[in-house]
Amino acid sequence: MSAAVIPLQKAGGKPEPLIAFRRVDLDLGGRPILRGIDLEIARGEFVCVVGPSGCGKTTLLRLLGGLLAPTGGEVSYAGGPVAGPSANVAIVFQDYGKALLPWRNVAGNVSLALEAAGVPRGEREARIAPLLRKVGLDAHAERFPGQLSGGMQQRVQIARCLAQEPTLLLMDEPFGALDAMTRQALQDEVLRIVQASRMTVLFVTHDLEEAIYLGDRVIALRPHPGRVAATFEVDLARPREQLATREAPQFLRLRRALYDFIESAER
Amino acid sequence: MKGLVLPILLVALAEGAARTFGIASDSLAAPSDIAAALAEALADGRLLLWSAQTVASALAGLAIGGGLGLVLGLLVGLSPATGRVLHLPIEFLRPIPSVALLPVALLGFGFGYRLEIAIVAFACFWPVLIIGSAAISGVERRLLEVGRVLRFGPLARIRKIVLPAALPRLFVAFRLAAGVSLIVAVTVEIALNPLGLGYAMMYAQETLRPALMFAVLVWVGLVGWAINALLLTAQRRLFGPAALVNAGP
Amino acid sequence: MRLSARLGLGLASVLLCAAIVGGWHLATRFGLVSRAFLPSPERTWLALWRGLTEGDLRRQVLATVERMLLGWVLASLVGIVLGSLIGSSRRARAWIGPSLEFLRPLPASALIPIGIAFFGLSQSMVLAVICFGTLWPMLLATIQGFAALDPQLRDVGRMLGFGRLDTVWKFALPNALPDILAGMRLGLTVALILSVVGEMLAGQQGLGLSILLAARAFRSPDLFAGVILLGAIGYATNLVLAQVELRVLRWRS
Repeated sequence: MSAAVIPLQKAGGKPEPLIAFRRVDLDLGGRPILRGIDLEIARGEFVCVVGPSGCGKTTLLRLLGGLLAPTGGEVSYAGGPVAGPSANVAIVFQDYGKALLPWRNVAGNVSLALEAAGVPRGEREARIAPLLRKVGLDAHAERFPGQLSGGMQQRVQIARCLAQEPTLLLMDEPFGALDAMTRQALQDEVLRIVQASRMTVLFVTHDLEEAIYLGDRVIALRPHPGRVAATFEVDLARPREQLATREAPQFLRLRRALYDFIESAER
Repeated sequence: MKGLVLPILLVALAEGAARTFGIASDSLAAPSDIAAALAEALADGRLLLWSAQTVASALAGLAIGGGLGLVLGLLVGLSPATGRVLHLPIEFLRPIPSVALLPVALLGFGFGYRLEIAIVAFACFWPVLIIGSAAISGVERRLLEVGRVLRFGPLARIRKIVLPAALPRLFVAFRLAAGVSLIVAVTVEIALNPLGLGYAMMYAQETLRPALMFAVLVWVGLVGWAINALLLTAQRRLFGPAALVNAGP
Repeated sequence: MRLSARLGLGLASVLLCAAIVGGWHLATRFGLVSRAFLPSPERTWLALWRGLTEGDLRRQVLATVERMLLGWVLASLVGIVLGSLIGSSRRARAWIGPSLEFLRPLPASALIPIGIAFFGLSQSMVLAVICFGTLWPMLLATIQGFAALDPQLRDVGRMLGFGRLDTVWKFALPNALPDILAGMRLGLTVALILSVVGEMLAGQQGLGLSILLAARAFRSPDLFAGVILLGAIGYATNLVLAQVELRVLRWRS
């Protein structure tokens, strides 16, 4: 094993960030969407992005995924510029109903990522089963997305992303359309899975409490055009717990600060 | 704009080929000759006469077939039991291709309008029945209850509640049937009825006048496109997006 | 609806069919309709039975079915391939689409005079017209199905790093399948109609010609037997395709 493959330390002694945005601008159709984004995310960090609609949260995520290219500045991943989609980066899309292949059953949808990675046909099944177990869908492998609830469909999408074995997981308001109970269950599952796999996560949400509950850090964006407005470090202990964590004084303090901030940003 | 490039290019190419190689024959004609034939047939009124014959047959067939389809569609749509009883006869009759009835209608009516109208009516009956009954059975049950509460009689309920509520989708049914009516009318004329645009094409072909044959073909295309565009615009104006849901069978 | 009620209504449906045939019988029996125009059900049945067992009706059916299926299969192949090519390219759709849409309302039968001008009253004319006429619904449906691929699914494909061919094979084609199958069903109807008209005009062997000749000779039982067979062909082919659709589109239920 050579330690040189992943340079953990830069010359200055500060750890090399996995992701770096340097003075990133983005225009779409002549309209400025993002302006002067400077942002670094370390390996293994769980970063949440919040902000009012129109602040470019999703755009930020699409830049990282390589689905968009910046108009100015540079987005870099593991030291090199992001040139396009990469097998190391997976996106859990917001609209789960449209992000699954309706004509493939649950196992088939997960298999899609293995096919993309060139996993031979014979090995796929053996790799799909544990993934489905991990997201609690092992009993539903043969069902089609149209026969599943929203929460289950989103689990399929998460399983597909995990099949990619990504270093970086991008999640675009993944639980926005789910009911409160399902959302909380999925939040905990994502935390558990991320903890076990040591993935780096960028999680976009409009739910401030969700951002605090999940993240190591919460980045708040300001709209028109989108800019980074503030960063909040979340010093809550892990593993987190729906009741205890949400009642912790730090949680309430952070929630207060974020609410105040967003309210002032919207005005 | 981009859509116009291809047809213009093709026409120019055909014209160029016709000029340089002189491809004009018993089966082909230069676009300029086709345009000239179209202008001539329009100017002397023949084209309009043929169009009138075709459109009149199509409309009459649509009115009869669509009307019958609507009445039966109402019955089936309002009473699922009626639908189940009529299920088998409908299932057996519907797959008969309309043109298979051509010889039957020929025996009954001889050549002429009645033959054509009968075939068009048969063809138009089905889409109106199928889409119409679905439209009517799709009328909100609450609305029917409102009618009952207001003590409307059955006819008043149909006239004041069912038909208006189902109108957007009924319009779709008739729009599709209108397309069918024109297609079937032209087909009947091409197959055997000496009337209208279809026969004009066949006659031009038989008398070896390809320019006129293509001119009528272009005209048939224009008429079909115009009717379709007109009805689509009317549908959008009258009902907006309401008619777009479940438009197809 | 309760099962017994459903069975009862199903039985009523069968009885209604029987009543229609009975009415038909009585109408011819008491001469309400000229027998030259409407044969009795018994004579129609006899003509059908004899034609299929001893006569050449079976040959006519096969000729028509063969012609229809051959044209339909060729048109389906060309339509799906061409439609995939046009449909998977946004640019091709923008340049070619409007022309195709303009041709959509054109009656397929209007191709017959042109076919005759080029091929004469021949077997190949009929086949060419069937192919070409059936091609349109297939082509338009395939293009529509390809164009309807959700942008989100496109992104999923890009994120997973699929190439163009894989994207078509794994995403666009299955996404277009419902439209393609609907187009194939419509195409089959068109193919049957064009077969019948083509046979009538070109004098090619088949049910189309045989019912026309039967009408000309006032052999109404043969005429009705032919019409019934054409209905049966339409019914059977539609049934098969509906079953295929049910199988292939299992995920839609």
